Amino acid sequence: MKTVGLIVNPVAGMGGRVGLKGTDGVVDEAIKRGAVPVAPEKATLMLRALREARDVYGARFLLRWKTAGGLMGERELVDAGWSLGEFEVVYRPPERSSPADTRAACEVMMGLKTDLILFCGGDGTARDIFETVGVSVPILGIPSGVKMHSGVFGLNPVIVSEIVQEFLDGRLGNALVEILDLDEELYRKGEWRVRLFGQARTPHEPNYIQAGKLMIESESDDEVKEGIAEHMLDKLGAMRDALWILGPGSTLETIGRRLGIEKTLLGVDAVFGGELVAKDADERTLLGLLERHPRAVLVLSPIGAQGFVLGRGNLQLSPAVIRKVGLDNIIITATPSKLSRTPVLRVDTGDEELDRELDGKSFFVVTGFRQVTLRAIVAEGAGRRAQGARD
Amino acid sequence: MQRDATGFLKAEYEDLVKKNFDWRIRVLQGPSSPRCKVDGKDVLMLCSNNYLNLSNHPKLIEASIKAARSHGAGSGSVRPIAGNMDLHIELEKKIAKFKRTEAALYYQTGFAANAGLIPQLVGEGDLILTDELNHGSIIDGVRLTKAERAIYPHVNMEKMEEALKNADKYRRILIITDGVFSMDGDTAPMDQIVRIADKYGAMTWVDDAHGEGVLGEGRGIGAHFHVEGKITVEMGTFSKAFGVVGGLVAGSNDLRNFALNKSRTWLLSGSAPPATAAACMAALDVVENEPEHNKRLWDNTNYFKKALKQMGYDIGNSTTPITPAMCGESAKAQALSVGLFEDGVFAFPIVFPMVARDKSRIRTMMNAGLTRADCDQALAAFEKHGRKLKIL
Repeated sequence: MKTVGLIVNPVAGMGGRVGLKGTDGVVDEAIKRGAVPVAPEKATLMLRALREARDVYGARFLLRWKTAGGLMGERELVDAGWSLGEFEVVYRPPERSSPADTRAACEVMMGLKTDLILFCGGDGTARDIFETVGVSVPILGIPSGVKMHSGVFGLNPVIVSEIVQEFLDGRLGNALVEILDLDEELYRKGEWRVRLFGQARTPHEPNYIQAGKLMIESESDDEVKEGIAEHMLDKLGAMRDALWILGPGSTLETIGRRLGIEKTLLGVDAVFGGELVAKDADERTLLGLLERHPRAVLVLSPIGAQGFVLGRGNLQLSPAVIRKVGLDNIIITATPSKLSRTPVLRVDTGDEELDRELDGKSFFVVTGFRQVTLRAIVAEGAGRRAQGARD
Repeated sequence: MQRDATGFLKAEYEDLVKKNFDWRIRVLQGPSSPRCKVDGKDVLMLCSNNYLNLSNHPKLIEASIKAARSHGAGSGSVRPIAGNMDLHIELEKKIAKFKRTEAALYYQTGFAANAGLIPQLVGEGDLILTDELNHGSIIDGVRLTKAERAIYPHVNMEKMEEALKNADKYRRILIITDGVFSMDGDTAPMDQIVRIADKYGAMTWVDDAHGEGVLGEGRGIGAHFHVEGKITVEMGTFSKAFGVVGGLVAGSNDLRNFALNKSRTWLLSGSAPPATAAACMAALDVVENEPEHNKRLWDNTNYFKKALKQMGYDIGNSTTPITPAMCGESAKAQALSVGLFEDGVFAFPIVFPMVARDKSRIRTMMNAGLTRADCDQALAAFEKHGRKLKIL
């Protein structure tokens, strides 16, 4: 029997249709502009798909819900046809719930034995939950926000229901994915800044490798990252006279660990001659290092669900830093599962000319030990700049 | 420290059993013939690779017996030292003539050819482009090299060429593909692969295990696409349509000289027994001189495919005697296989994760020795159980 926590952020996604880039702190404004709730409907859709599968497969579904009262989960479960004996309301929010209630409900669920926290919302909700549960419990999002840069979301409510079914069947492992969020206050002032807040665990299909004729071995995401790191050690080892700049993310963190340095998970670090020469470096530090070490290589990994390698969660890697390193000295790494979710890699460097140079350029992305996959870069910046939404 | 030396054996086996990934091997009692006995039951064989039924051909059997009498049961050594028999050399000349290449080398198995030669052709600083559905022995051969490998989407020539366009930094490039893909029965467009490879100075390697004896009037995928002698390495096997065992590599004289000096599998395992080498030669003679086997194989294939399709089975993109009957989810393919076996038809289910979750199937392999009545019996069982399981 598995216990799944369910938290719906009933106001998530309301800002989008009325021209707000999120709902954090501006619920009243959204309602005033005529916004209607969308998240409860999406959560119900997912819960109904799951309940219908339960009706078909019956005994395979050993599932117990823990949820929050009212529109934070209870109402959606009832609307989707789950019976009262199948869930327990473990937290009662006030009539008008807020992010504090998401966190509080999460905390109660953490105190109980919860195998998965399923939520309905956007990046803000993902962040609230992540900041409460960390990596102790996998989390999975039904997409309903205005912004969904984080890697914890299923593609749509029906696909989320399929992931939950496989999770209940014990067929899934889990992987670390980024929690990203736009700084909404800065954004509404006209500044676009997507921050990397951390890495959460999410249910994840293992990578299958053919071991024999009709035989398959599965490889966890962590094992895949070890393979990438192993290969990068070989590659970097052949460039010992260069400065190695390592971007954020768990793939790069694994490379750092294998190099024997204390790599930050969320920051950009630099290594020279096998030694860590800058930890969590800012743009200025990086430019200083590049003055001293003209030969450099920059190792990156896509951040978040849309496959951004530059411009999301690693703004320290400014256009000046990238130009100094040189486009031919960029190595991109990514697990095959991450690449499978994004057909192209994206950049948004903030420098139109640099974006143009990168746009359409193809990279052999390192996806495993001695394994590469060709991926093209798409520059995302120009469109949004035309709307005047950038600094 | 007290170390448990062998506990993993049981633990890992039990894990396979739990996941339903373990092999429960059936026992063939007697020859691999179109009608044979499996686990005590008389069945129609629809999952052997013995496409032309040559394993039962009197000429092959006679040649084996004769060679055993004249040359003994074994070769006594590895080829490079003292196990290089006149029969091996004669066989290689015949292979080259059959493949219309300058030269050929006979390996102990197809696996030995893939695992032995691929890692010698490329190394550090090189790139391998490999089709995502390539056979496991290619995957293992590739794993043994220090070259970087890029997997291209199944027979996607555009993606393959895109990789070549961006591969200036690599020293050598090797494109590797199955000729006939064993799960779907479709083929690699060798004419296009050769043309594109030539444009970028890349080598080509085709594993024609399921094409020899079948395509190009039996000569294989090179003949089928009119690129004989233009593929860098035509690799194949005698264990399928040729009805014996052993691997082969056909290509230039330079390739043969290189391969026999560098393939560790070839250099370090004992050479094939005389009976095997002689049977392989007989198989080549039969394929060249008795076209009726190939014709019957295709007649049966076309009849069987058409009937399955008319029944309502999705048979994918197969253009060869490998015909998948799509079942949808894994449980259905497994149930269909059980039902077929009960009705005397031996056909193998292929399920997730070998193929996508919704693409589980029964993979049938046609045999020239099956009669029309045999095919009808098999088809009737497919129809009966297909309807019962609501696949149709």
